[in-house]
Amino acid sequence: MDTASRLLSYQGIPVWRHVQIIQWAVQIVSGILVVALVVWFFSNMVNAIQDRDIPSGFSFLSREYQTPIGEHFLPYESSDTFLYALFVGITNTAIVAVAGVFLATALGIFIGVSRLSSNWIVSKLAMVYIEFFRNVPLLVQLFFWFYIVLELPAIRESFVVADAFYLSNRGFSMPWPKATDYSIAGIWLGLAAVAIVAGWLVYRRQSRMEEQTGRSGYPLIYSLATALVIGAIAWLILSFAGGSSPFYISIPEPQGRFGNIVGGFTARAGLLVLLTGLVMYTASFIAEIVRAGIQSVGRGQTEAARALGLSPMSTLRSVTFPQAMRVIIPPLISQFLNLTKNSSLGGAVAYSDLTNIAVTMTQTAPAVSIFMLIMASYLAMSLTWSLIGNLYNRHIRFVGG
Amino acid sequence: MASPPLSQPEGMLPPRSEVGVIGWLHANLFSSLFNSVLTLVSGALLVTGLWFGLKWIFLAADWTVIAELGGRFLLGRYNTEAACEGQNCFWRPQAALIMVSLLLGAAWGLRGNRVARTVAWLVAGVSAAFAFLPYSLETMGLDVRILLLLNLPAVPLGWALARYTPMGTGTRVTILGVAIFFLTLILLRGLPAVPFLQPVSVVYWGGLSLNLILAVGGITLSLPIGIALALGRRSNLPVVKVLCVFFIEVFRGVPLITLLFMSQTLVPLAFPEDMPQNSLFRAAVVITLFSSAYMAENIRGGLQALHPGQAEAARALGLPGWQTTMLISLPQAIRNVIPAIVGQFIGLFKDTSLVYIIGMLDVVAIGRSFIQSNPEYLPSARELFVFLAAVFWIFTYGMSYISGKVEDYLGVGRR
Amino acid sequence: MKRTLLLFVALSALVLVLVGCSDTSALETENANLKAENEAMKAENEAMKAQIEEGMAMLAAGTLPMGDGESRLNTVRERGKVICASRDDVPGYGGIDAAGNNVGFDIDLCRALATAVLGDPSAIEIRLITAAERGPTIQSGEVDMLVRTVTWTSSRDAGWGNYAQTMFYDGQGFMVRADSGITDALELEGATVCVTLGTTTELNLQDFSDQNGLGITVSTFEDTDAVVAAYDAGQCDSFTNDNSQLAALRTALSNPADHVILPNTISEEPLGPVVPHGDDQWFDIVKTVMAILIYGEAYGVTQNDVPSAATDNTKVDRLLGLSGAFGQEELGLSETVAQDVLKAVGNYGEIYDRNLGPSGINLPREGGRNALWANAPCTDCPKGGQIYAAPLR
Repeated sequence: MDTASRLLSYQGIPVWRHVQIIQWAVQIVSGILVVALVVWFFSNMVNAIQDRDIPSGFSFLSREYQTPIGEHFLPYESSDTFLYALFVGITNTAIVAVAGVFLATALGIFIGVSRLSSNWIVSKLAMVYIEFFRNVPLLVQLFFWFYIVLELPAIRESFVVADAFYLSNRGFSMPWPKATDYSIAGIWLGLAAVAIVAGWLVYRRQSRMEEQTGRSGYPLIYSLATALVIGAIAWLILSFAGGSSPFYISIPEPQGRFGNIVGGFTARAGLLVLLTGLVMYTASFIAEIVRAGIQSVGRGQTEAARALGLSPMSTLRSVTFPQAMRVIIPPLISQFLNLTKNSSLGGAVAYSDLTNIAVTMTQTAPAVSIFMLIMASYLAMSLTWSLIGNLYNRHIRFVGG
Repeated sequence: MASPPLSQPEGMLPPRSEVGVIGWLHANLFSSLFNSVLTLVSGALLVTGLWFGLKWIFLAADWTVIAELGGRFLLGRYNTEAACEGQNCFWRPQAALIMVSLLLGAAWGLRGNRVARTVAWLVAGVSAAFAFLPYSLETMGLDVRILLLLNLPAVPLGWALARYTPMGTGTRVTILGVAIFFLTLILLRGLPAVPFLQPVSVVYWGGLSLNLILAVGGITLSLPIGIALALGRRSNLPVVKVLCVFFIEVFRGVPLITLLFMSQTLVPLAFPEDMPQNSLFRAAVVITLFSSAYMAENIRGGLQALHPGQAEAARALGLPGWQTTMLISLPQAIRNVIPAIVGQFIGLFKDTSLVYIIGMLDVVAIGRSFIQSNPEYLPSARELFVFLAAVFWIFTYGMSYISGKVEDYLGVGRR
Repeated sequence: MKRTLLLFVALSALVLVLVGCSDTSALETENANLKAENEAMKAENEAMKAQIEEGMAMLAAGTLPMGDGESRLNTVRERGKVICASRDDVPGYGGIDAAGNNVGFDIDLCRALATAVLGDPSAIEIRLITAAERGPTIQSGEVDMLVRTVTWTSSRDAGWGNYAQTMFYDGQGFMVRADSGITDALELEGATVCVTLGTTTELNLQDFSDQNGLGITVSTFEDTDAVVAAYDAGQCDSFTNDNSQLAALRTALSNPADHVILPNTISEEPLGPVVPHGDDQWFDIVKTVMAILIYGEAYGVTQNDVPSAATDNTKVDRLLGLSGAFGQEELGLSETVAQDVLKAVGNYGEIYDRNLGPSGINLPREGGRNALWANAPCTDCPKGGQIYAAPLR
């Protein structure tokens, strides 16, 4: 009895009451449990894969995909590999995510500010908007927009503006710059990047001068001029050297017996529906975030700004908003993440997003491997948003002091 | 005509433009030129929107598809011959509904809670109103209608139960609630041995009740898991912390639709083949885990917002660590994040519409399945989706309205 | 198994590292004994690891129940239900009727199987899946049979599961608006074509477009209601699918007469049930049940007229289990399995007529590939087609 209790004690405390030992035990037990569970899952999976001849592995990635992809922004042909097709899918999702985030933020801020408007009808309309779009599942909304787009005229009866913009139930087309020669266009893009960097440097220099000397440095004018001049010179030189300008504006026009639009840039119906749905849905959440952010800024701030003679618009822009940003950013980033994830509903409305392409791939490639890849892709995207959010958060915190 | 007031106070009345209807209009709609333009533009927008919307709803739209679907919207194929061979199983979901009315009545009786009273009478009243739907007696029998009407007496019964029996404590009513949830599941699923509770396969579950079961089950079960994950993430035990962070980030980073798809295609591979499995159960597990990851972040936010003085005071009083967490930090943290939890519940309820991807006929999928099986209704897809939007809106808006009331009741943000 | 063990060792090493590196703030202590304790812990952990490894070895040796313990037939009989993966969105093949029952050609094949192994045509559970989910679903082994208008291809046969029998010969075609004036699919140059996601039609369309340099633009949809609505509203110039489904879905369009199905058939689409890999007995049972349906028609045995006493035809008697046998015992089926199946769901022709024929979506069978083989013994059945199965003897 005595020896037993001495054996079972550590530092004079029985082991079952010793905090460190309990902590160690918890960690080891939980670690081992998780490992055992994972191992059990994996061994079952390996068994099933062997028993039922289920394809596995990643060798398919270098095979030709040979399946159509409805909408793609990168050039894609059926002879491209699975790996490339997956990349096309990631780009498709990324494009919807980025475009959606910009539009949703703009619309969300507009609605959020309208919600706080002193104009009764504007404020109530914003409220109706928020309450409607926030409370209906995105899937239902997407179908709603899908049927709305189907109500648009057929391709032959498109709405046409200036023979350059076409809107029909197949999508929206508009003029868009196209590269004449990929290498020359590439060189010009490189030089344009240089021009932007140069412009940014000029901006920094001028604004520092302005701060130090107090004289107007016109940083914006100087920097824009620098960038434009460098870009234009590069354009002229390349045009002379190459015989044609690096880019030309491609005008969309109907072609062939079906009147499908060729040239320009066409956002097809699937993209329009998905983007509209995502933007309207996410904007309703962003509007609430913006409203809460603005309301979090003390009344005194606004009143002081008004007392100094700032207009309501300037007050909002230079006093309220910068302060509200700190409250707004963290939930906003999580909305961006949600928007990116929600774009996986694209398949329902004929947009070839990553999930849609991956699910199609399971027809001709191992499902197990495909799902690992798409999980990794989505995690990478969500980490990117978190990273951007954290960087921006640090930035504004630094500025705000 | 009316004679002027006899005792007119000294001084002048405020100008006409500052009081009454005109004053209100001036202050709220036409205070400046910009505001007036804004008012006119948005007013025009509102009028055109309403004009076209109402014209469509009352004149153009053909709502027969909704009437044809009838009860399937609420219960899916639960009450069909295929689901419940040789028996009428319709009484089972209805009994569950009566139990819910009873529970709400008990919640009302608990502390004379006005919110609970409103909700209880609303649920019971709407259910009872369904008894008077203009279907023929063959389509909707007398027994069905009587069971629906029984929701009305269930509310005062629950109230009396909480008032006059030892049931009337918060803990007991909560336990009753959890018990009723599981009893509902058993009632709907059936038991093999009991003659009048013939098992009904989950493939026949569907409609709005499926969305509600998944959402209620998901949020209830994700609360304890979420708390555990949140505490794990804040713990200073590295292994536990790493595991929790990993879990939370994976489940938050991947779309639910992908997770659901995997739950049906990959998860079965991870279990031995002869282990009995159930697709709805797996979907429910995935929804719960997904929700837990978000719940964990909400609760972590609540814990972080707590003043450290709370925990320090508890420690100074000699409370051991776990008691500090369970009795001091967590209750305050949870109360502070109630709005976030309700928001998450609404989000989860909406997300349950994604179970279509795994072939479950929830309220959205059952409607689509109906128009696809009966192609003559395919042109009615617009009406269907407008109706679905309205159904979801009523539920989610109702939930956020109730949550606002509950917040007032608990004094969230005031203490 | 080697891979499993390797994986396990790697993971336990990871845990060890994590545990080993964890003496941080939680364990602030001035006690020098801690280190020794730590070592002891590690040793203990090592021992535990060895134990688990032993357990894993046991698992690997198959001493614990894992995976292939039982035959699917036994599993199904214990469960009391046959689980089939099918659809609810195409009338004729798989839909849901007014009473909420699953109905259709594919569903009836599942009912036939349920009757054969369980004696009850209603002992089925239909898992509704989209086209794209078919592969992973049958691979998961969770369903006993996949009958969802699945085209038999060699890669699916290798990767998904085993195809039992072609029950319907289809081919991919195109539907266009009559007023477009198109009479041949080769005129579809530059057209936008609607197609359902994750099907062989999607792949064939790509082949067809590449082969003939048509530069077809594709719109892929997940579900039937969306693809039909999109085509109907003119979002695509043409809608491609298996010809039979096109015919079925044409009736769903706002004005069916305005649409024509082009004469071109660009692919071979043999459709039939699929069973998971790895259970030969189950595979054979499904093949036999399908053969029973086909020979039921060939021998003129109909649902309402299943002889229960010996007839003058030896082949009919053998089919119905009245004399001789065709392997019922080896497969674990009852002697009179064919009687049960034919009584419950009828023969192939009756299933066809009920769902795809006159009482269904009205696809002609006479003279097509889905008639019985040319010299089938029946008297007034459609002949000259390709429906043919391994003889039951």
